[in-house]
Amino acid sequence: MSNVPSDWEVVIGLEVHVQLHTRAKVFASSPWGFGQEPNEQVDPVVLGLPGTLPVVNREAVEKSILFGLVVGASVPERCAWDRKNYFYPDNPKNYQLTQKDFPVVVGGQVEIELPGASRNVMGEHKFIRIHHAHLEEDVGKLSHAGSGSLVDYNRAGVPLLEIVTEPDLRSAAEAEAFLRSLVAMLTQAGVADCDMEKGQLRCDCNVSVRRRGAEKLGTRTETKNLNSISSVRDTVIYETARQIRELEAGRAITQETRGWNAELARGYVLRDKEDAHDYRYFPDPDIPTLRLSRETVARLAKQVPENLYDRQRRYVEKLGLPYTAASVLVNDRALAEWFEAAVAAHPANPSGIANLVANDLLRDLAASAGAAGAFDEAAPAPVSLASCPIKPAQLAGLVKLTDDGVISKQQAKEVFAEMFKTGQDAAAIVDAKGLRQNSDTGELEKIVQEVIADPAVAKSIAEYRAGNEKAINALKGPIMKRTQGKANPGLIDQLLRKALG
Amino acid sequence: MAVGFDIDHLAKLARLSLTAEEKALYSSQLNQILGHFQALADADLPATIDDARVVDEAALRSDEPGPVLGAEAVTRIAPASRDGQISVPRVVDDEA
Amino acid sequence: MADALHTLAAAELGRRLAAGALTSRALCGALLARYQAVNDKVGAFTHLDQADVLAQADASDARRQAGQGRGPLEGIPVAIKDNIAVKGQPLTCSSKMLAPLVSPYDSHVAERLRAAGAILYGRLNMDEFAMGSSTENSAIRKTLNPWDLARIPGGSSGGSAAALASGLVPLALGSDTGGSIRQPASHCGVVGLKPTYGLISRFGLVAFASSLDQIGPMARSVEDCELLLNALASADARDMTCFGPSDRTLTPGGDAQKLRIGIPKGFLGKGVAPEVAAAVKAAVEFYRAQGCAISEVELPSADLAVPTYYVVATAEASSNLGRYDGVRYGHRSATAGTPFEMMTASRSEGFGPEVKRRILLGTFVLSAGYADAYYVRALRARAKIRAEYLAALAGVDVLLTPTVPTPAFKVGEKASDPLQLYLEDIFTIPANLAGLPAISVPCGKSGHLPVGFHLVGAPLSEAKLLAAGRLFETAHGYAHQQPAL
Repeated sequence: MSNVPSDWEVVIGLEVHVQLHTRAKVFASSPWGFGQEPNEQVDPVVLGLPGTLPVVNREAVEKSILFGLVVGASVPERCAWDRKNYFYPDNPKNYQLTQKDFPVVVGGQVEIELPGASRNVMGEHKFIRIHHAHLEEDVGKLSHAGSGSLVDYNRAGVPLLEIVTEPDLRSAAEAEAFLRSLVAMLTQAGVADCDMEKGQLRCDCNVSVRRRGAEKLGTRTETKNLNSISSVRDTVIYETARQIRELEAGRAITQETRGWNAELARGYVLRDKEDAHDYRYFPDPDIPTLRLSRETVARLAKQVPENLYDRQRRYVEKLGLPYTAASVLVNDRALAEWFEAAVAAHPANPSGIANLVANDLLRDLAASAGAAGAFDEAAPAPVSLASCPIKPAQLAGLVKLTDDGVISKQQAKEVFAEMFKTGQDAAAIVDAKGLRQNSDTGELEKIVQEVIADPAVAKSIAEYRAGNEKAINALKGPIMKRTQGKANPGLIDQLLRKALG
Repeated sequence: MAVGFDIDHLAKLARLSLTAEEKALYSSQLNQILGHFQALADADLPATIDDARVVDEAALRSDEPGPVLGAEAVTRIAPASRDGQISVPRVVDDEA
Repeated sequence: MADALHTLAAAELGRRLAAGALTSRALCGALLARYQAVNDKVGAFTHLDQADVLAQADASDARRQAGQGRGPLEGIPVAIKDNIAVKGQPLTCSSKMLAPLVSPYDSHVAERLRAAGAILYGRLNMDEFAMGSSTENSAIRKTLNPWDLARIPGGSSGGSAAALASGLVPLALGSDTGGSIRQPASHCGVVGLKPTYGLISRFGLVAFASSLDQIGPMARSVEDCELLLNALASADARDMTCFGPSDRTLTPGGDAQKLRIGIPKGFLGKGVAPEVAAAVKAAVEFYRAQGCAISEVELPSADLAVPTYYVVATAEASSNLGRYDGVRYGHRSATAGTPFEMMTASRSEGFGPEVKRRILLGTFVLSAGYADAYYVRALRARAKIRAEYLAALAGVDVLLTPTVPTPAFKVGEKASDPLQLYLEDIFTIPANLAGLPAISVPCGKSGHLPVGFHLVGAPLSEAKLLAAGRLFETAHGYAHQQPAL
């Protein structure tokens, strides 16, 4: 992927704009949602009609605080809103309500995991610091039609949390890993849905390069409005290469705002610093400073889910899961909780449960759900466990049947498929299909004696006794044949060795 | 308070186009008014702004969707519209 | 019914309506006739839908007939300044910019008036976007002082004050950002109250300077002013800065004769016309004779009020008026070009000179490199002024000054000198900066021109201001004087 010459270092900071999961808009009671007819989700406040006033949506504030708690930020005693003044047809009041000096979230950090050497190997972990996050309003949408443009204000006033990182990211891969981790945290806490296809997550990407070892940061550029993780990654790669090329050719980097053309995989200049806006920020006189109560913070703290990577470490270290399965499970909170419910029903074999969940269950759910979301092309399709025909305790029952030797692992796959189709308990399927293994020691001992008495296998017996371990397998076929394949393979092995020993 | 405003810059920020006469008039009036503001520069003022305007969470709105105007009402008051949207001259990429 | 209905106070009209001696239709009919006779002379109204008024009057009479009257304002017309939204009525702010707009929603106060059974009676002229002290900045028409048609009625609620003084309506709503209710009330010889910031919801009041704006009642008597205030004051979840009344706000404030009245040092000095000073001093002597304790108080930062006000107000205005760009509603220029050229042309065509001047000033005081020297310092000065007023009001119940230093000036007299005009508001501005309630009460004449005095109280002390006003009014009867038109 990116080939940054080893004597250069890239420094990246991201500003991530996330639409919060609320029903009404952030300063108005108008509802919002994707895919509505234009201007149907607009009320007098959203349209900025003369005389209208903003009132802050409690849920938007609480979702913002919850995000702060998820990333371990401090929740300030107070937050306040400011006006950012600029004229644009999609900006109904020609000022945007945002938080400049007193944001709702200050500090915090996001743990990220870089790709390992292979899929089975965990990569390096790192912490990316959050500078702050502020709660603001989205703007409307402009589209071009012939000689004119059309404005739809449905999106105007949708709550946006702008999450600003410290310049802690050092590669395209880190930027990508950060966004994956952030999205997992936001969705797992119910703060946001982060569906990039619906424009629910957009990034501004600040990139600069410097000679490795240099302390001073290079001049940065800001590429705005990136709407997929791959665009962020491609922008970092593109911008890093461009800046190094410029500097190596003896040219300076201009501090500028840039755009990204995803189709051409190319960046372009939007405006340079000379044209920088003078936003004339000042405290919004319509929204008083808001005191954030400690009671609310304490209540929200209880809603913070277990951190993604804390959970992953617990699965590997305490439950003994292989990294691959653990990493798949923790990506989806509902899936992880489903898995844990199954483990609670059968605590003896978490790995056996994990294996079925991470492979069979996910595969079948994905097949019944359809295509992956466009937000993150590399991530698995989000699955809906709500409609999952198998309940956690049922899966636990299946694993227990295998562990108890009632059915073989091979048979377990067959039973699983039937459970996914019918929602029946494993035991019922095993009985109905007559899959229950024969573990009757007395009966099997008798069959073993009959088989080893058969002269046709004398040669194999001799070889086994001479030390060829594998020769014992030749004796198992006839036993299985006599039991219609239902003999417990482990028990047969044990009985054969005893008989021949 | 040294005043060095640029009337053209201010007009551009405020999205106003001014004639030469207006520029001259407003420049001289603003200078006169800003001169009167000298008292502000000279005053001994508190370092902090005591913010009397603080509310607690009871002042917040609950997340209940309310009524909307509807596209018909939005476009009825708009100077120009098409297909439920408000039309404006074509926006050139980041002209702002 | 010997008296002409247009001269009667709302309280008296309410009594007659309640007694069945009068119908709202008869009252509105009489006022509409008065409108036909007088409005073109004074220019108070910019819009009056006579059919709508009569329909409202009939509905009110029907409610009363059915025993479903809604209280003391049932059937009484209240005229509304044209910056307060009433659904289905124009909301022009006396600006070309909003001339095409019909409001699709009701302000909180319009809802309150409907709930009280009042007749929402027409739209009143004002300085464009409430910026001015003479109503000369209206883009729609001139409003003249009913006491002298060569003079201004004051502003920005000039239409409200002129309508009351000329008997066009018994009650009116104004809005006050730096004196826009009290100054025209003083010039027209009527009563105007600017409530405590946050007592009345601003939802539906077109913002000039959000941290200073308040809607307030205007009437020909203190008693009527109180009647209207009681209908308007309530908390509203749509305005985060509105808290509504406290228990004591509207409760009659005890014995007005025991009030402690503070006279700010130097306030009757330079710039105050001798006849104005004399009338106000006579009012002070009246209160002293009634038994009120009169003392002098210090307000050392008084000189900072005007510059502080003009920085804060214009800064907020420059942002508040950003939304008028010809995109979503209001005036759109026919000039073709880019959206930004269209917006610029719409604004340049739609706004008058005073509005442009204030937008430019406000843009400047917020702009990069200057915000700290102007806007931020003004916030600090505002905090200081507020602290001084609250300290002074800890020792006295009310502060008494003239409302305006001089009587109403001639039309056009100060049009070319904005700074002189800004100084009209020197006594009224501090109440807005400090968020305090204040009232202007007529107290005499300078020649043939009315003069008012001004009382400022502690937050939510409206009842004391009204009690003090009524004490004076009852003794003097200026409320019953009306100009010959």
